[in-house]
Amino acid sequence: MKRYGEHRFPGKLFVVEGIDGSGKSTQLTLLHQWLQGEGYGVVFSEWNSSPLVRETTKRGKKKQMLTPASFSLIHCTDFADRMEHNILPLLKAGAVVLCDRYIYTAFARDVVRGMDSQWVRELYSFAVKPTAAFYFRVPLDVAMKRILDGRSGVKFYEAGMDLGLSESPEESFRIFQGRILDEYEKMVPEFDLTTVDATLPIEEQQTLMRQIVKAKLAQAKRLRVAP
Amino acid sequence: MRETYAAPLPGMNLAEMTGKLIVIEGTDGVGRSTQIRLLRPWLEQQGRAVLDTAIKRSELAGKGIQQAKEGHTLGRITLSLFYATDFADRLEHEIIPALRAGFVVLTDRYIYSLMARAIVRGADARWIRNAYGFALKPDATFYLRIGVDDLIPRVVFSRGFDYWESGMDIHPSEDMYDSFRKYQTELLTEFERLAKEYNFEVIDATPDVRTVFEHLRAGVARVLSGEPREPLFSVPAPVGNVLEQTTKKVLEMPGPAKTITPVEEEPAPTAHALARAAEGDSNT
Repeated sequence: MKRYGEHRFPGKLFVVEGIDGSGKSTQLTLLHQWLQGEGYGVVFSEWNSSPLVRETTKRGKKKQMLTPASFSLIHCTDFADRMEHNILPLLKAGAVVLCDRYIYTAFARDVVRGMDSQWVRELYSFAVKPTAAFYFRVPLDVAMKRILDGRSGVKFYEAGMDLGLSESPEESFRIFQGRILDEYEKMVPEFDLTTVDATLPIEEQQTLMRQIVKAKLAQAKRLRVAP
Repeated sequence: MRETYAAPLPGMNLAEMTGKLIVIEGTDGVGRSTQIRLLRPWLEQQGRAVLDTAIKRSELAGKGIQQAKEGHTLGRITLSLFYATDFADRLEHEIIPALRAGFVVLTDRYIYSLMARAIVRGADARWIRNAYGFALKPDATFYLRIGVDDLIPRVVFSRGFDYWESGMDIHPSEDMYDSFRKYQTELLTEFERLAKEYNFEVIDATPDVRTVFEHLRAGVARVLSGEPREPLFSVPAPVGNVLEQTTKKVLEMPGPAKTITPVEEEPAPTAHALARAAEGDSNT
C-alpha cells in the first residue's frame, strides 16, 4: 500500500477545495472546458459520488444516523472506491484528473466534527498527492450570501446540524462553515495549497488557474492535436 | 475505566460502560457463531442480559457491504473502510449503549479479524491499526484456534468454499481449494501475530463443539466473576498445524511423533477444572 506522496504516473491531478459558496466548482468547470479544448484527456471526479457506496451514505443521511466517526468512514470509503477504480488507473493512463473536493475536505469537516486530526490524516494516507491543490479563499459572509441567495435551504449535515450548534439551520451553517474555514487556513501551509482569492472576478481567477495548470502539464497526454 | 486503543470518539464516555465486552475471534468456519448460540442461553439462564453482534450487521452499512461484495468492483482499501464504517456504526449504536446498560456484549469477531483480512490483502499494518484506534479494548478476547488441515474438512462438509473466505479476490487464478488453503494459512499466521500483540486467550477449536464450549464457558465465567486471567489457560501453538510449511518440515524429521502430538488434545488441567467449576455438578 502506497502512502501519501508525489506520484510518478504520467497523468496529472488537480483538485479544488474551499467552503460551500467559494466558487470552486464553477472554476473547475471552466478549467475542464479549457483542457478539453486543448486536447487533453480529462476526467472529472466529484466528492461523495461512488456508486458502490451511494446507497449507504444516502440511508445514513436520510435517517440522520451518521455520527462523526461513521460520517468520516463512509466518506473515506467513497473516496477509496474512486481512488482505486478511477483516479489511480486514470493517472497511470496519463489522464488529467480533476477533483471537486479531495482529502482536505475530509480533514476540515471531520476535525470540526471532533475526530482526531492525526487519525483522519492517517486514514486517507493512501491518497495520491495532487499535482496542484487550489484553495478558494473567501470570507464567510460572501460565501453565505452566495449560498443563501441561490438555494432554498441547506441540508442537515451540510449545515452541521448534527453538532447541535444552533436550532436555526442558517445559524448552524454559519458557525459550522466558519470552523471549516479555520481548518482550511491551517492546511494551507501544511499541505502547500495554492491559494486563490475567490472574491476576484471569475475570469481573473480562471486566468490564474490556467497559468498554473499549464506550467504543470508537460507530460500529460493529448488525445488529439489542439484546434 | 474502559479504554480505547487510541483517541476515543467524540462524545464517548468511557466511565459509564459497566457491562462486559467479550470477543470471540477465529477464522471462517471455525465455529464462532455455534459457540455464541450456546453461550447466549447459558448467560441468560444466569440472569445476564446479552447482546450479540457480528460483522455486517449494522443498520448503516450491512446491506451496502453485502451488495458491494456481490459485484466485482470492490477494491481492497474500499472493502476495509466499508467494514470499518459498519464497525463504527455497531460500536456507537449497539455495543456502547449495551455496555452502558450493563449488558454482556458477545461479539462474533471484532477489529482483529478485520485487521487480519486487510493485512493479508496488502494493507499497511499501521494504517489499519490507526483506522480502528477508536475501538474499545474488550474485557477478553477468546481466539478459537484451528490449523488449516482441520479447518478444511469442516468447511467442505458444512457450507462449502465461499469466494471471499477462499480469498479468490487475491488468488484468482487458482481453484477454490488451493486458494482457500493458501488464503486461510495466511490469515491464520496473521491471527497468531495478533494473538500475541493483543493478548488473546487461545482456545483449541479442534475438539467437538461441547468440549470447546466447556473451555469457552469457563473463560467467560472467569471474566464475569472478575477473577484474574489464569496464565495456564492459554494453549501452546499447535506445532505444524497453522503453517503448512512447518507441518511438512516436522513430518520429514525422524521420530516426530512427540513433536506433532497436538498438545491441545489433552487440555490443560486448569481449564478442565475451571470448566467443571463453572458447570457445577451437572454433566461432567
